[in-house]
Amino acid sequence: MESSEQTERRAAEWLSRRDSDTWDDRDQVELDRWLSESTANMVAYIRLETVWRRADRLQALGAGLPSGKVPKPEEFNLSPFFGEPVEIASPPYRVSPAWATAVSVCLVLLVASAWYLWPSSPDYHTSVGGLASIDMPDGSVVTLNTDSAIRVELTPQRRQVRLDQGEVFFKVAKDSQRPFVVLAGDKRVTAVGTQFSLRRLDKDIRVLVTEGAVRIEQAASLTSRQSKPLSLVSAGKLASTQGDAILVQPEPPAKVEESLSWRSGYLIFREDTLSRAVAEFNRYNSRKIVIQDPAVGSIRLSGKFRATENEAFVRLLEGGFPIRAQRNVENIILTSSPVP
Amino acid sequence: MQRVDTALNTWFAEEILVHEAALVRYLSRTWPQRSDIPDLRQEIYVRIYEAAKHKRPTSPKAFLFATARHLLIDRARRGRIVSIEAVGDLEDLNVLIDEFSPERRLNARQELKQLVNAFGHLPPKCREIVWLRKVEGLAQSDVAQRLNISVRTVEFQLQKGMRILAQTLLAKAVMPSARTRTATGDASQKEESDDGIQ
Repeated sequence: MESSEQTERRAAEWLSRRDSDTWDDRDQVELDRWLSESTANMVAYIRLETVWRRADRLQALGAGLPSGKVPKPEEFNLSPFFGEPVEIASPPYRVSPAWATAVSVCLVLLVASAWYLWPSSPDYHTSVGGLASIDMPDGSVVTLNTDSAIRVELTPQRRQVRLDQGEVFFKVAKDSQRPFVVLAGDKRVTAVGTQFSLRRLDKDIRVLVTEGAVRIEQAASLTSRQSKPLSLVSAGKLASTQGDAILVQPEPPAKVEESLSWRSGYLIFREDTLSRAVAEFNRYNSRKIVIQDPAVGSIRLSGKFRATENEAFVRLLEGGFPIRAQRNVENIILTSSPVP
Repeated sequence: MQRVDTALNTWFAEEILVHEAALVRYLSRTWPQRSDIPDLRQEIYVRIYEAAKHKRPTSPKAFLFATARHLLIDRARRGRIVSIEAVGDLEDLNVLIDEFSPERRLNARQELKQLVNAFGHLPPKCREIVWLRKVEGLAQSDVAQRLNISVRTVEFQLQKGMRILAQTLLAKAVMPSARTRTATGDASQKEESDDGIQ
């Protein structure tokens, strides 16, 4: 079969001929024959023709301009139509309604449960598979991933959050008088106005900064106020600590989005190994998936999945791979199935 | 020889092609090989067009994504690197579609803005020829005469223009990619971009 690109080229050739001043009935017969040769020809032609017809509306651009002069892109004058210079920006990020509802529900629940703890030192936590977003009194928004726990302390002098376990995304409201400090074990992450996610892995942390910059420090001891700086991490960077060493690496935007997809309840994999995918799923589900066969663990897969739907994930694995799943009450065991 | 079914073609343009940006985003998130995407897209369109000849689906958008998903699963089973979209049931799939696809019905003003934006992305030579043909309404032969070039060159540039416009208006209409945006500053680069349009 012809590649879609070849087909598209042929369709464009036909359409430019159709657009010419020498088109006649015989040409039309030939075009009809080409279109009926294959549905691929037909859809490629419809696609270009639709756009080409839409382009007739470009005539609006010619209003008030002398003939024969082609303006530069920034010179298109559409003010008669728009009442303002044309500015085309990408649309704002949209939050899906389902997600918005989920957030507000969590919020209500959390606010209700935290009410009598306020204002001393509110604690928040999520269970396995949970997701919660909290609006702080200072305007910051904190989103907790699965199985996470934080303690918040807001005073007129400082804003401090202790991350006891799990992963949190912080959208920090600007307040240069009160730095926003997150403590995770002996690590200290300080931000002014910025957005970043912080995942705690026992003693080490992973910090992904999406806006602004944060400073990472290590406390001399858990109780001490003294600390030594590890690194300043700017937007688009991922920092991982190992003891008192730190690795900072740039993250491509697509990867950042994938890493943060948990905020809308999804896991995204791109040619990741099944072992890694399963490890991620197990963070969100109390019924763990166990890989019993190294060959199964090294299979690579891509896709977008609901984090809490490990059942659906396993069904897809069974359908798409030579994998057999044994479902027990407390876990799901994956083994390779013999090729039929 | 089959007759051209105008009503079917209109339906296809209005109900299916409008979701191309969402479809391409879905494919590029789900399928590891970016270079496969135009062929996958075409295969999906072919399947939908064939099915719609017999009966138009009641929910074209859901049908489009279900078709895409089936095709990917078919391909995944045959290929070594496998890509699957784990959506437990159709309800989940709908959530996914809504998330990926802000409503594509634009009002006339937005539509014109997008068109102007796409037109601005054409390489200079191509833009000039499309301008003379579409804005000033000159016949192809008059465009050739005005610019002192051959009619064949005019045709060639128009073909290129159509394909780039289709790419920008359909495949990237809603969320222009970073690459498309940077292409504005350097139109000559556009010709060698991996959109494969030359």
